[in-house]
Amino acid sequence: MKENSMTDNLDQQADRISFIDRDGNAVRELPDTVDVDWLRQSYRHMVLIRALDKKAVALQRTGQMSTYPSCLGQEAVGTGIGMAMQDEDIFVPYYRDQATQTLRGVTLHQILQTWGGDERGNVFEGVAKKDLPLCIPIANQMSHAAGVAVALKSRGIRQAVVTTIGDGGTSRGDFYESLNLAGVWQLPLVTVINNNQWAISVPRSSQTGTRTLAQKAVAAGIEGVQVDGNDVVAVYHAVEQALHKARCGKGSTLIEAVTYRLSDHTTADDATRYREASQVSQAWEYEPVKRLQTWLHANKHWDPDREQALLREVQQEVDDAVAAYLQQAPQQPDDFMRYVYEEMNHSLQEQRAELLEKHGRQKEDSHGT
Amino acid sequence: MALKEEKSSDKHAKSKIEPAGSTHVVTLVEAVNLALRRAMRDSPEVIILGEDVGLNGGVFRATEGLKAEFGYKRVLDTPLAESLIAGISVGMATQGMRPVAEIQFMGFIYAAVEHILCHAARMRNRTRGRLSCPMVIRAPFGGGIHAPEHHSESTEAMFAHIPGLRVVIPSSPTRAYGLLLSAIQDPDPVLFLEPKRIYRMVRQQVEDDGQGLPLDTCFTLRQGQDITLVSWGAMVHETLLAAKQLASEGIEAEVIDVATISPLDMETIIQSVEKTGRCVIIQEAARSGGIGSEISARISEEALLYLQAPVRRVTGWDTPMPYPKNEHLYMPSVEDIIDAVRTTLEGV
Amino acid sequence: MRYFKLPDLGEGLQEAEIVEWHIKPGDEVEEDQIILSVETAKAIVDLPSPQKGQVLALFGAAGDQVHVGEPLLEYAGAADDDKGTVVGEVKSGSKEVEVDQFIIGGSSARDSSRTLATPLIKSLARRLNVDLAQVKGSGRNGMITADDVEKSAQVKHDFGDAFTLKGVRRVMAKNMALAHAEVVGVTIHDDVDLHAWAKGEDITMRLVRSIGVACLAEPNLNAWFDGNNLALRPISRVDLGIAVDTPDGLFVPVLRDVANRKPADLRKGLDNLRAAVQARKIPPAEMTGATITLSNFGTIAGRYSNPVVMPPMIAILGAGRIRKELVVDGDGTAVHAMLPLSLTFDHRAVSGGEAARFLAAVMRDIALK
Repeated sequence: MKENSMTDNLDQQADRISFIDRDGNAVRELPDTVDVDWLRQSYRHMVLIRALDKKAVALQRTGQMSTYPSCLGQEAVGTGIGMAMQDEDIFVPYYRDQATQTLRGVTLHQILQTWGGDERGNVFEGVAKKDLPLCIPIANQMSHAAGVAVALKSRGIRQAVVTTIGDGGTSRGDFYESLNLAGVWQLPLVTVINNNQWAISVPRSSQTGTRTLAQKAVAAGIEGVQVDGNDVVAVYHAVEQALHKARCGKGSTLIEAVTYRLSDHTTADDATRYREASQVSQAWEYEPVKRLQTWLHANKHWDPDREQALLREVQQEVDDAVAAYLQQAPQQPDDFMRYVYEEMNHSLQEQRAELLEKHGRQKEDSHGT
Repeated sequence: MALKEEKSSDKHAKSKIEPAGSTHVVTLVEAVNLALRRAMRDSPEVIILGEDVGLNGGVFRATEGLKAEFGYKRVLDTPLAESLIAGISVGMATQGMRPVAEIQFMGFIYAAVEHILCHAARMRNRTRGRLSCPMVIRAPFGGGIHAPEHHSESTEAMFAHIPGLRVVIPSSPTRAYGLLLSAIQDPDPVLFLEPKRIYRMVRQQVEDDGQGLPLDTCFTLRQGQDITLVSWGAMVHETLLAAKQLASEGIEAEVIDVATISPLDMETIIQSVEKTGRCVIIQEAARSGGIGSEISARISEEALLYLQAPVRRVTGWDTPMPYPKNEHLYMPSVEDIIDAVRTTLEGV
Repeated sequence: MRYFKLPDLGEGLQEAEIVEWHIKPGDEVEEDQIILSVETAKAIVDLPSPQKGQVLALFGAAGDQVHVGEPLLEYAGAADDDKGTVVGEVKSGSKEVEVDQFIIGGSSARDSSRTLATPLIKSLARRLNVDLAQVKGSGRNGMITADDVEKSAQVKHDFGDAFTLKGVRRVMAKNMALAHAEVVGVTIHDDVDLHAWAKGEDITMRLVRSIGVACLAEPNLNAWFDGNNLALRPISRVDLGIAVDTPDGLFVPVLRDVANRKPADLRKGLDNLRAAVQARKIPPAEMTGATITLSNFGTIAGRYSNPVVMPPMIAILGAGRIRKELVVDGDGTAVHAMLPLSLTFDHRAVSGGEAARFLAAVMRDIALK
């Protein structure tokens, strides 16, 4: 078994894209589109997601939500993607994409609904209307994303598809098959690997023999790029470039965002069983939110008062979403039968009648759901 | 646009492109071709994809001439990856396209099961109707052509067990045309299994009128009052032969082609059993856990009081299909069907 | 065939060099005509055409190496070598065009007259020699239970067999029940004094004549009544149904147009009908279309009755047994023959007055010499 060469992956590599380093210093000129407002907006979003994430874990621990996959420490990956995507691009997530989805109009309430076990969380509106729902089986979303890209290209629509996958997912067939197709058919597909170093308990070094995940692009004949996944500017920049390239018909890109999973895999996991606490505290040193905060402070674009105000604001937003989630009326008992086919067939209608006889219809509440 | 434009000559993909709406004398596989052509002419969202479907016209020629008529953007020769074929079909379908994917043989569909079961069949339910999956997967299935291992599968029952998926099996050129058109127009995913043994067995006159036949409905092929024979796919052929022979002995069998094996139209079958009081189900698939078992259970639930004898099944054995030398020991025959009918008529 | 491929040249030789073509595209060639010379390691070989045909294309020029099995020449308009499969053999059937016959869905309506019993109950009934058709099911939806069968067997044992009504008896049972349910029957009874009659009068013919006369006086009693639509159809012709008793049951043949026929003709007609009934040769048509009925039960026994009106008719005359009775005659008494009559009418269709006047007319005519 390979030794955990975690530091190897997180060392600053010459070809890894970075703008704001782990100490909060800009190491190169920021892109034109990244102005102070952009940075404050990104910062705000990461803080919001972290607050939601913390609350969601707490809800699970108190039995008010089912298993939840925290994105703690990975907020920059999702935020960078969401800031780079255009409205008409299409997002095909895996299951740890809260940050991107919420930038595309999926509500905090819907995030809670999905992990609370309520399919209504998948009824996206607005910008996310054509986005796919999150995907539990590992890597399947990659093939779906390739299909969506085929659809866009077929219709001559000059937009692109972004899909995400974890480091563990890159071992699965769908990953290779989809990238291969993207290469040979030159699909407008941007794939972002959230390399948070862990596939449940399996460290990145045990997942594959390659030095990076980005280099797997070579096998597909497409461009591969590695970025510092804790630098929201770097993620944004790489995705934005890749999207532009894709929309121009110049093909697909594989982006590896190197980050660290500061939380357990999900609330059902206990990471202390397989990783050292010291490694985790070390990773906290270069987490994404703190480093951007440092930069904003240092460049006089932030202060403690604004910080407090922001924290209160996001907490309110989260609390409102939680209240809505906790108070929502349950679905009708036959809702899970009504969407199996477009129209219920005879047998299912009989079964529905049986079910309703047993459970009856709920009283409609004021929310009308 | 480079969805891999083929540079090599298309001479093998030539077809006689005929005007729409004419009548054709066709075999079952030619009827499939006719339906695909009609669907592609009528709906620009219909895209064909699969291995060898474009330039080669499909290994059974089911997609012959389509690439020549519709071009490389609508008839896609994919890399060799069944899971991917099903997966991208899901993605395309969620965006409003109507992909008609071919899996070259049912024996190679198993890599695609994850996408069919986990996603195609669940996308509408998962998103409460926001997204849906109007895709068709076509696959030649069934044995009797002396092919190597894995080319003679009849595992339709596996797929019938998946809620959210339809499984449709034609048994004649006319019905292949009509059912495939309906499958392509259906808003939900359909697995369209084509019994390859009878691909070229029979020729029928088919009107290319774009009219689909209803899904979720059985077809009564022959009326009779003595016994109900239920079958689907290639076995319908043997069942009709058995009925003809029985008629010469004064036994009139009612023959029902199930066609859509999931969701089942039990009403037609029950109605017939109430009339005849006897039923034999004929399936090429293995005995245990097949569609015959489901139909038998439902008859027992809904028409027990009308039965004069137990419901019998004529089936393959609970084994993989033997290699070609012993294939004949596996496939149910006309004699097997007649024996089962006689036993049933002897009473309880 | 479409292509001529380099044949096996024998002695394990796998390839040859084209020396010279002897034909060119467009030429018509005959079978066995020499078309090509090739050189192997051992010799120059002349190759004949395997078939007659026109040359469409040549593959390879002088000096080219070709291998065994490679196509050399394409014939125009030839049938494809296409086997139409990549494994196995997909057989073609006959060239005959079959007609596809099918019904969408089922072929016939349900048969609801079946006895509803499980196979277990059926075998129990067989064992106990019980006819299930006579057993009333006390189970759900009229299903026959084991209890029902056993009770039926007990009754049969204690009290003997029941036989299910069949044929004419069955029809009578059904019709009488229907009539009783629908008709509002009222009966008027009276006696006719026959002292004016000569000896040997044909009682039946006098009754028949009197009905004809009464129908003229009160036409509304010779009519059909539609109870659903409340419509009365008086009929000009009097077709008299005459009740005939047989060992097989009650038959009611119809004597047509009684008002306009001579007695001798009527008598002959009635005798013919009777004979046909006894011989069980009466056509069904002779038993339909009656407008009014006569029941002469007096030939057996009985004085007055409440005969049953059979819809759509509205009247039936019953004649009882003629008796000698002491009557008041002027200031004294005498013994007269009296014929009792019972007229039942459907009070929905006609009034008591109309019916009474009808009966009066009957009686006046019968009383005549």
